[in-house]
Amino acid sequence: MYIILVYDIEQQRVGKMLKLCRRYLNWIQNSVFEGEITEVKLKELLATAKDIMNVHKDSIIIFSSRDEKWLEKQVIGIERNELDNIL
Amino acid sequence: MKKSYYLFNPGRMSRKDNTLQFIPVDAAGIEGTPKYIPVESVANLYAFGALDANSSMYNFLGKEQISVHFFDYHEHYTGSFMPKDYLLSGKVLIAQTQHYTHQKKRLLLAQKFVSGATGNMLKNLKYYHNRDKDTSIQIDRIEDLSSQIWETDSIEMLMGIEGNIRITYYSSFDTIINDFEMGIRSKQPPSNEVNALISFINSLCYTLCLDAIYHTQLHPTISFLHQPGFRRYSLALDLAEIFKPILSDRLIFTLLNKKIVTKGDFDIQLNSCLLKESGRKKVVKSWDERLSETIMHRSLKRNVSYKHLVKLECYKLVKHILDMEGYQPFKAWW
Amino acid sequence: MHINATLINLYHICARECWLHANGIRMEHTSDTVYDGKLLHEMSYPLRADRHTEISLTAEFSNEIVLTGKVDFYDSKARTIHETKRSNKTAAAHEWQCKFYIWLFALNGIDDVQAILEYPKSRERTNIFLSEADSVYLSNTVDEVYHLLRSDLCPPRLDEKICKHCSYHDLCYSGEDLSSY
Repeated sequence: MYIILVYDIEQQRVGKMLKLCRRYLNWIQNSVFEGEITEVKLKELLATAKDIMNVHKDSIIIFSSRDEKWLEKQVIGIERNELDNIL
Repeated sequence: MKKSYYLFNPGRMSRKDNTLQFIPVDAAGIEGTPKYIPVESVANLYAFGALDANSSMYNFLGKEQISVHFFDYHEHYTGSFMPKDYLLSGKVLIAQTQHYTHQKKRLLLAQKFVSGATGNMLKNLKYYHNRDKDTSIQIDRIEDLSSQIWETDSIEMLMGIEGNIRITYYSSFDTIINDFEMGIRSKQPPSNEVNALISFINSLCYTLCLDAIYHTQLHPTISFLHQPGFRRYSLALDLAEIFKPILSDRLIFTLLNKKIVTKGDFDIQLNSCLLKESGRKKVVKSWDERLSETIMHRSLKRNVSYKHLVKLECYKLVKHILDMEGYQPFKAWW
Repeated sequence: MHINATLINLYHICARECWLHANGIRMEHTSDTVYDGKLLHEMSYPLRADRHTEISLTAEFSNEIVLTGKVDFYDSKARTIHETKRSNKTAAAHEWQCKFYIWLFALNGIDDVQAILEYPKSRERTNIFLSEADSVYLSNTVDEVYHLLRSDLCPPRLDEKICKHCSYHDLCYSGEDLSSY
């Protein structure tokens, strides 16, 4: 599936969350990631994320769709990070 | 599905916070903004530009079972970093060896590779024949030659027929491809645009097969049609025979006839022709897209990507050498 | 030959899978279901790890056969084995795996062990005990597995509904449709 993950994490924990998400997804702008991920890998990511989070203060929101093609994306202003596998 | 990453820009790849970080470096040696590549999404890496990396990165890639394929400045494939084997089966290794040492068993597999490859070449010729490209001479000649495949009693004889089939097949390229001339197949160096494309895309096909084999219990150095040791991983060459017509050649026809790759994408010297970086990028992009295209698999009854098709071919070989099910090469039916 | 609890489990699901697994033809790495099972283990145990220990057992069954088993969580005070599984689709095989563990304890002189088989997803728990008849059955099964694994011939595929979700599915069903030849 294809997901967009956004998080709102208090400063002392945010670095850890950033590093975790970078392993699974592409960073697109501050606290926003997107990418293709399997259900189990997402489960693994979230299980690890819960260890980092304080669930009373922090949050993660995930928007998901079956396939990238169902997602229309528009960037206004500068694109911080282009997603491409040809670098 | 994990992705291949193709690195054209020179730069430094390193392990950072348990994932991959790529820092592009320009001609003046100035570092650009670091880019993180999610390690969980990486199937393999292709290094086309100058890649700077250290052993800690390779140790990390090894642990994550990510291979790296290297190409030199002239787009020649120069080798691969293959992580340590992680799927070992004594049973498969011994059975695979026995299928090599036993002359009849080896010949049978070799014949199947040639017959599969020939079937797929004929499919291409017939496809274009139905689209007003007269390839009837080649079709007749190859059908005639292919009937001799099963009469061969040695690998040498089979290789001879295979060579004739391939020469005949290549002689149709000038009919199929508009605006470019191939002439005869030349490799080192390729003499013109078509030859340059064939060489480059075939080496991509070889690395595709090599990676598929790596993720199975098959041993990549024990081959049947090609003599083991001819190349480091000769089984990948055997497997590539089946897929070159479907994946490489069809892509070449599309790239040239649809003018996706044009004259300007090549660098033509006195007697050699190579793709410029612009051309290489276009080829790699189309190749990558092609691999993720899917077809309805008739026995699995679900859509599978071309990339997965190569893996399935490995499974079929495993079943053959373990006497579970006779190998039938993949033949395109569309 | 070593025969372990996994093989006993697989034997009750599919003889072919048992044979392939024993011969090193593994498919776990291709399967999300298997990975999900692994995550389940990691996620459901850390909380009680202090009271439970991982334990490896072996027993000589005959001159040729050594039985082995690795119990992930054993509560020595309550003499209870905890086994967690993802889905109860192959519950009978899971039960035999648990009984095999209990049997291994008995063969090592530790009696009255029981097992609790848990399916956290469906919130099911089953208590498992070993009867006299079960021991006889397991002993016969070990002989059958031994003969299966000594054979060079891989058993035929199952062609059952469960094949669809098996990690060996693509291996078993990847043959070409011969009508196209």
